[in-house]
Amino acid sequence: MDDADVALRNMTYRLFADSGRAPTAEAVASAIGATVDDVLHGWARLHDAHALVLESGGRHIRMANPFSAVPTAHRVRANDRWWYANCAWDAFGVCAALHADGTVETSCADCGDSITIEVRNEQPDDPSILFHCLVPAYQWWDDIVFT
Amino acid sequence: MNLFRSEEHIDRWLAGRDPGVTISTTTLSELAHAWWGDRIAPAWTPHSREQNQAILTKLGLVGRFWQLA
Repeated sequence: MDDADVALRNMTYRLFADSGRAPTAEAVASAIGATVDDVLHGWARLHDAHALVLESGGRHIRMANPFSAVPTAHRVRANDRWWYANCAWDAFGVCAALHADGTVETSCADCGDSITIEVRNEQPDDPSILFHCLVPAYQWWDDIVFT
Repeated sequence: MNLFRSEEHIDRWLAGRDPGVTISTTTLSELAHAWWGDRIAPAWTPHSREQNQAILTKLGLVGRFWQLA
């Protein structure tokens, strides 16, 4: 990942964090003074480098981990805004990335009961809840959406 | 990567599949803050695989399951 791609990635994340939603290629192009094609080609390289995840077709962001561009079962309230996370790990990651306390709302993957966890000073208020990671780390990127 | 009420719920959800690894949400939050804490930093640079592996190791997440490659 060269310096230009790092700068593109950082602006993409900044716009996501500032607005609470995934930026369009047009918005990023405007912010960095590049063409939309430049942004799309850069995003493709970042996708290949696992720095973000694009939707099929390559024009829209699916994940800027830990943030999800699409609604998921893992929702986080932080900095007076709702965010979607890609998984339970990423839900805590939203608080981490924002350096904010937050509320994680999800459900037990088995029974469907709602689970709400307050994160204060990086600590969850209910340590009895368990996190299960099914896929080994060396296979996470084989199918990151499933992971 | 999901949350569960208890080990019993995990076992039922697995329905005979090989289990992965279960950790507490306390460890998960530590992991998340170490892994994602710099993601919107203006001067973010990519983590190397070795840096990420070190985060896992520091939290005791070791063994083949947690090897990134």
